[in-house]
Amino acid sequence: MTAKPSHEDIGTTPDPAAVPAGTARDTRNTGPGRLLIAVYAVFAISATARAGYQILTKFSEAPVAYLLSAFAAVVYLVATVSLAKAGRTWFKVSVAAVLVELVGVLVVGALSVFDSVNFPHETVWSLFGRGYAFIPLLLPILGLIWLYRRRPAPKRALES
Amino acid sequence: MDAYFYIILVLGLVSSVICLSAGILKKAPNDTTILSVAAVELSLLVYLVGSIVRVAGGEQIAGEPWEFWGYLLTALLLPVGAVYWAILERTRWSNFVLAAVGVTALVMAARMNQIWY
Repeated sequence: MTAKPSHEDIGTTPDPAAVPAGTARDTRNTGPGRLLIAVYAVFAISATARAGYQILTKFSEAPVAYLLSAFAAVVYLVATVSLAKAGRTWFKVSVAAVLVELVGVLVVGALSVFDSVNFPHETVWSLFGRGYAFIPLLLPILGLIWLYRRRPAPKRALES
Repeated sequence: MDAYFYIILVLGLVSSVICLSAGILKKAPNDTTILSVAAVELSLLVYLVGSIVRVAGGEQIAGEPWEFWGYLLTALLLPVGAVYWAILERTRWSNFVLAAVGVTALVMAARMNQIWY
C-alpha cells in the first residue's frame, strides 16, 4: 500500500497570514523533509543534552567550547522547528539556521584542526563532526538542497 | 559491552536494514517495518528492566547515573516518536525515518554501556 497524501491533507495548519491558500510549496515537512526534520530533531536533543551536561558539570574547563556546544544546540533546535513549520517566514528562518549551521561546522571544524589547543574536540562541530559520522557536515548541505527545492513560489522570497 | 548491547546491536541493525530496504523499494511503512522498530523498543525496555534490577541488586553505575538514565529514557522515546510520525504520513520517506531509529538506538546503547562500566 502506497498511501501518498497530497501536500494539502497532511494536517498542518499553515499560518494564514504567511501562506496564500493552496500553495503546496510553502510546506517543507513532507516526504524527504520529514527525514531531514527527524535527523535534525535527534541532533537537537543530543546537542542540547550534551551542552547542558558540559555547562552544568565542567563549564570552567573550556568555556568557549561549551558555549559553542550550546550555540550549536540552539541552531539545531531552531532548524528543527522552522523546517517543521509552513509559511514564508519559517522558510527564511530555516535558511538562516541552516546557513549558520554550515558556517559553524566549517569554521569550528577548521579551527579544531588548526588550533587544537584552544579548541579541544568537545563540540558537535569539532573536526567537521567526525564524532557524529560527519552527519553535521552533510546535514546543512542536504538542508539547503531541500530548502531550495521547496522555496516559496515567487522568486523574490529568496532574497534576505 | 554486555548482552543488552549486543541484543540492541543486532535488532537495531536488522531493523535499520529492513526499513532502509523498504524505503529504497519505494514502499510505505507496513507491518514489517513498524514491527522491526517495535522489536528495537522491546529490546530497550528489556535493557531498562534489566538495569533497574541490577541497580536494585546493589550494582554501581561507574559513570554518572543520571546520564545513563537520560540516555535510556531518550532512546525509549525515539521508536515511539518515529512510529507515530510514520503513521501520520505513510510515504517511503517515513521508512527512512524508521531506519534511523535502529542505528541511533545502537549508538546510544554503546554509550550507555560505556557509562555503566
